[in-house]
Amino acid sequence: MKESYDIPNNLQYTSKHEWVKVIDGGNAIVGITDYAQKMLKEVVYVELPSIGKKATKGESCAIAESVKSVSDIYSPISGEIFEINEELENEPDLINKEPYEQGWLFKIRINDKKELDELMNSEEYEKHIEALSKS
Amino acid sequence: MELQKTHLYNFHKSNGHLIDFAGFEMPIWYDGIISEHLAVRNDVGIFDVTHMGRCIVEGKGAADLLNYILTRDVASSSIGQGRYSVMCNENGGIIDDLVAFRLEDEKYFMVYNASNRKKDFEFIKKNAQSFDAKVKDVSDEIVMVAVQGPKSVNVLQNISDSDLSSIRYYWGSWVNIEDQKVFITRTGYTGEDGFEIFLWDTPLTEVEKAERFWQIILGAGREYGIKPIGLGARDTLRLEAGMCLYGNDMNEDTTPLESRLSWVVQFEKKDFVGKKALLRQKSEGIKRKLAGFRLLEKGVPRPGNKILFDGKEIGQLTSGTFSPLLRYGIGLGHVFLKYAELGTQVDISIRNKTIKAEVTDIPFYDTLKYGRKRQNV
Repeated sequence: MKESYDIPNNLQYTSKHEWVKVIDGGNAIVGITDYAQKMLKEVVYVELPSIGKKATKGESCAIAESVKSVSDIYSPISGEIFEINEELENEPDLINKEPYEQGWLFKIRINDKKELDELMNSEEYEKHIEALSKS
Repeated sequence: MELQKTHLYNFHKSNGHLIDFAGFEMPIWYDGIISEHLAVRNDVGIFDVTHMGRCIVEGKGAADLLNYILTRDVASSSIGQGRYSVMCNENGGIIDDLVAFRLEDEKYFMVYNASNRKKDFEFIKKNAQSFDAKVKDVSDEIVMVAVQGPKSVNVLQNISDSDLSSIRYYWGSWVNIEDQKVFITRTGYTGEDGFEIFLWDTPLTEVEKAERFWQIILGAGREYGIKPIGLGARDTLRLEAGMCLYGNDMNEDTTPLESRLSWVVQFEKKDFVGKKALLRQKSEGIKRKLAGFRLLEKGVPRPGNKILFDGKEIGQLTSGTFSPLLRYGIGLGHVFLKYAELGTQVDISIRNKTIKAEVTDIPFYDTLKYGRKRQNV
């Protein structure tokens, strides 16, 4: 089936379909992309990290479950988690409805801003998922 | 090995997401598991279940053969009547669960799990040697479609001259659906009222005949909101109804007595495979039993999750999911009898977190509001 995906150009992306939005200098909001939520479909449960957790870039720090699947969400950058989206506990499908807005996952204090340079911009990410859907 | 396809593969490929199921490339979902699930609970859905195994058992000894390999008596079935049963090994372990319909005095039609097609057919064939009966595998010559949900009778009545509402639960009949003669049975795997329809003499080369038939039902169901349903919702529907899945909730190491299927074991009939072992288990008493669990906290239980009582493991879930209707986690698992009592408080271990749960009755839903015995449809 042919799908189209929303990829805002003001965000940065990982190859594993997380997005990062830098806010107030040293902090960032993290979520999963429209492509990821469409792959998961109907998120029914989200397990978020605890506040204060030190996340390491590339390591699993949250889980999203649909009826049939369990998916790890990897931290796109290293740093300390200082806020989580508590709305997701009762409304996990916010991730499906608004992956880039109400469906955000957590906020993180960035350890090393250089890690941001390793993320993809929207054009690079778009090419990445095009390549995936061809394979 | 290349995956097998059913006649309706093209429809699945262009409308759904495909997975490998028992060697078949089948749709896991079209629209989404939750919306499909709710369509069947509230209205109606159509499933391609052609991947299931089917065979004909025919001959003077057909009834005797089946009564020897099944735990249930099918020699007393009337023509047109079907019976749900299990087939056991000598230890009483379940080889498969299936439905046997009596088509004629000396002719039966069996329907069994896709994952056991080869094993079942060989078991039946091997046993047939001692009886005056022939077994024919007709799996690849019949298209099998399930129409399930409280509106299923309305949908099919739109396109049939026969009175479908008069077909009793677990009975079958030859009727016309539009111009197509089919064998239709009041059976299913969802807990809802519904039918399974067998389009005879339709080998894989007759894709168009199958597609046309599928589209006729989709068309007749449009006004009732019919949806095509994938294997994902098929699994959540059967689990909410408390129905066992072969390979998960029962296998060759579990007996029907342990799997809440004592009602299909008829000890009063003559010798049958597994009778001795099952009689012994009955007189000694079963130690473990299948129980239903509902999560009291958020989380999604999965097969393999440990069931804990006072921190100690008492069993594992053999099925588990998020219930789309009830909006909480549900599961099945075998535990020692004393823990199977309704209301027993347990924990389910999910990724090393313990989630509170309790033993609950099955079906998991309120049978006055949902399922084929619902009131005030």
